Amino acid sequence: MSANKKAIWVFGDYRNYFQNRVTLQLLSRAKDLAKKIGGEVCAVVFGHWTDEWVDDALSHNPTFCGVVKEYIAHGADKVYLTDHPRLSAYSMETYALLMERLAKREKPEMILIGATAFGREFAPRVAKRLGTGLTADCIGLDINGEGLLVQMAPSFGGNLVAEIVTPERRPQMATVRPGIFQEIPHDSVRTGEVVRVPMPVDLPADRVRLVRVERCPQREQKLEDAKVVVCGGRGLGSRKKFAKLFELAELLGGEVGATRPVVYADWAGHEALVGQAGKQIRPQILFSFGISGAIQHTAACNNARFIVAVNKNPNAAMMKRADVAIVADASQLCATLIQELKKRIR
Amino acid sequence: MLKMVVCLKQVPMVSELPWDPRTGTLQRDLAEGMMNPACRSALEAALRLRAGEGGEITAITMGPPMAEEVLREAIALGADRGVLLTDRRMAGADTSVTSYTLARAIERACAGFDLVLCGFSTIDSETAQVGPQLAEELAVPGVAGIDGIELFGRTVRMRRLSDNFLETLEMDLPGLITVATGENALQHVPLGGLQAAFDGAKILTLSADDLGLDPEIIGVKGSATRIISVTSPTAAKKNLVLTGAPKRIVEQLFERFDDKIGGAIGRDLKTEKAK
Amino acid sequence: MDFNPCMKHKAVRKAVRMFAEAELAPIARDIDRDARFPWEVVEKMRPLHFFGLQAPREYGGAEMDSISYAIAIEEISRISAAMGLCLTVHNSVGVYPIVRFGTEEQKKRFLPAMARGDSIGAFCLTEANAGSDAGGVETTAVWDGSDYVINGTKIFVTNGGVCGTALIFAITDPQNLQKSAGVFIVEQDTPGFSVGEIEDLCGMRANPVSSLFLEDCRVPEGNLLGRPGDGIRIGLTTLDTGRIGIAAQALGIAQSAFEDAVRYSKERQQFKKPISSFQTIQNFLADMATEIDAARLLLYRACAVKDSGRPFGAEAAMAKLYCSEMATRVTNRAVQIHGGYGYSREYDVERYFRDAKVTEIYEGTSEVQRMVIARAVLSQRT
Repeated sequence: MSANKKAIWVFGDYRNYFQNRVTLQLLSRAKDLAKKIGGEVCAVVFGHWTDEWVDDALSHNPTFCGVVKEYIAHGADKVYLTDHPRLSAYSMETYALLMERLAKREKPEMILIGATAFGREFAPRVAKRLGTGLTADCIGLDINGEGLLVQMAPSFGGNLVAEIVTPERRPQMATVRPGIFQEIPHDSVRTGEVVRVPMPVDLPADRVRLVRVERCPQREQKLEDAKVVVCGGRGLGSRKKFAKLFELAELLGGEVGATRPVVYADWAGHEALVGQAGKQIRPQILFSFGISGAIQHTAACNNARFIVAVNKNPNAAMMKRADVAIVADASQLCATLIQELKKRIR
Repeated sequence: MLKMVVCLKQVPMVSELPWDPRTGTLQRDLAEGMMNPACRSALEAALRLRAGEGGEITAITMGPPMAEEVLREAIALGADRGVLLTDRRMAGADTSVTSYTLARAIERACAGFDLVLCGFSTIDSETAQVGPQLAEELAVPGVAGIDGIELFGRTVRMRRLSDNFLETLEMDLPGLITVATGENALQHVPLGGLQAAFDGAKILTLSADDLGLDPEIIGVKGSATRIISVTSPTAAKKNLVLTGAPKRIVEQLFERFDDKIGGAIGRDLKTEKAK
Repeated sequence: MDFNPCMKHKAVRKAVRMFAEAELAPIARDIDRDARFPWEVVEKMRPLHFFGLQAPREYGGAEMDSISYAIAIEEISRISAAMGLCLTVHNSVGVYPIVRFGTEEQKKRFLPAMARGDSIGAFCLTEANAGSDAGGVETTAVWDGSDYVINGTKIFVTNGGVCGTALIFAITDPQNLQKSAGVFIVEQDTPGFSVGEIEDLCGMRANPVSSLFLEDCRVPEGNLLGRPGDGIRIGLTTLDTGRIGIAAQALGIAQSAFEDAVRYSKERQQFKKPISSFQTIQNFLADMATEIDAARLLLYRACAVKDSGRPFGAEAAMAKLYCSEMATRVTNRAVQIHGGYGYSREYDVERYFRDAKVTEIYEGTSEVQRMVIARAVLSQRT
């Protein structure tokens, strides 16, 4: 491997491995991008016992043999690894310093970081230290004619997408939203180089101290993370008719969302509010019943991949935004949908 | 006495956006501004801390002259004073340059601060980057996205949900936090406070020259990133309209969109199953 | 002359609009249907100074300028005219007369509770035989050596069912109407004070408009505003101020109806086109927009004259006359643009239509406004 080969780095964010496979998704995308610029894909891992790192959630998975091998099996050509007891829990300042030093030494062309909560705080610190640009929460990455990384960044709740480049400074950096790219299937015979980076001896203690951490027993962001969301508005007519949505959601394995008037009328609790003052959702499929579509609500729904809207009024704003707009009484259609689903799911 | 700085951004008012969902055009310059909701949460966190600990709150914003409005609103809500960074040469800054500019202004106008509070992210550009980068610029410890804060002397204890981990963190002041938009409904602006904020309160206005900033490294000139295009994905949506008897509509839905619906729930919906 | 709203007025509009859209919009239709006064919203308005919009700060008010005041009433009325009515009556004809004509002692006694919204104000002039003709007032307040003893019946009292402080227009000497009229501050817990049935009205249904009965109601001398005989002067000045509030209220109703009409005309398709593409609808909308704009300018001009300290009676009457008649026209058109749906309670425009009409009637009918304006015109031109 030539020394000046352009490298695309992917930060190995393994903390929520099985909920959040964004690192694997990024390795896959990095591989495509690397082909276009004739580069290589490197994963960067900071941790402890990463060779055999296993937690309870992984113990039943026979193919898993540590994040380093896992990343190679999913597309990394090289893994930079710093393994040290001090790194057994995520630590912002320490991680940022390690990344800064490594990047200053190795000069990667790009650094891609998953837009997890950690990644979105870690990346801007690294970018600042490296004096380069950073694009947040990208929903697309490509290489343009000049070989620059084109970073597609949503804004205004997905109403707009900006294409952003970093023309001069290096590395080009982006955080990328989970679930955008497909990971490459696990290939256990794939090989790669492991570069062990020693822990610096002069590392200062992190000024932010982790006092306690616990894994949430329950997913607290049920609605935000749901693959299927069933949302209802005042067009359903009554509390009783709105309640049918819970039955539908259960059949679909999804969650129930509500508009502001519905929450105000107490047909649903505040935790169900989808909107500017409530939750932003990004399901694969959104069913919208009897919702006219005030912008405060639609902006929170823009990241839904596929929208089915039901409304008597074909010209309601929500109907215009839907992939499928069903002109019908929302409550009646909900009942029929439940009936037909039962026939098929049983 | 706790010396706090709250960074505010004026963002276009979503409900008032001169907005065409069909073409995706947005006339930002026509839009009315408002205080970014998460910034307002940050201000409220500061107000709560002040209620408990005493202290002083400086609201600071960078933007066009009209951004002064959010400072006055902050004063109406209880902030003690406002600092406005406004200069054409500061416009178009990316997050890194924004944090650089803000940091220099905070060092100038709020020297000896104890705690800087920012909103976790803004509803327009949604980067969540300025807070962490500002912590780097100010060389103080910082924590993003917190939803609970307590003060024990010079130590701040914070809670947050981060990637499914419930974390309790501590740092010593001075420091920086970014505050997530909480469950609590935001306070409305008291009209008496608003009137007083406009009639009496002084706003300190600072330009690049006042701060001694090199025009080459601020604003759009100093920014590493370039926006090459802006499009609206919602404008391009194809829209299929279904009408008729509910049963027939549902059947069509399952037949034509089984990949989408069945795919999302992991079932084959095309055929009825025998009971 | 600067026609651009200043930053303060923009901020006031946004603050009130955000409040109204968050707290009032979800229930506006229901409180109208159920004729229910929303105490829970009053509760939220109290700490925000909605009940002391123009009261001095030292008594807990917001001390707003008159344009800010008009904007606040306009924005509340844009969502719920009935709540706009509650506020404008409380602020301009309940609180204002005490601010303007009260003694220091009266201000200290009555203003803090009113400005906090703990005591909602009402102004009671109208009687069975007195409306536009204030000379027909039959309620009496007779001095018995230690107290004024008030007897009479007031009708169509806005905020009647919820008022804590009523300003009662009464005469002390039935033989000398003009010279003996007075305005008396009567608190709701005064023995002999009682509230009649809530009126079943066409519009403004969430406001508990009622009759008030005064039977041997005794109030001390300190409850008389000004001196005996000041009643007519106080009443007229109060009504001038009240007209600004009603004009703002009418403007808010019209604005809301207009916004709904624009939105509907873009959504509603006929002959495979949105109806907004038809010239007739465009003409409707153009007229509505122009009239609303004219009304707004006329109103803000009246406010500016008032704040400059000059007499503003004619300007306020013009604003009130034009805004209210405009509101009736605009809401009527909004219903027409909505077609059959506009006549249905599923949409809000029928409520705006019902609410608008009364703005031409109370705080001086359109006919009275024309009288006031004509007098001013004739006195200026010889």
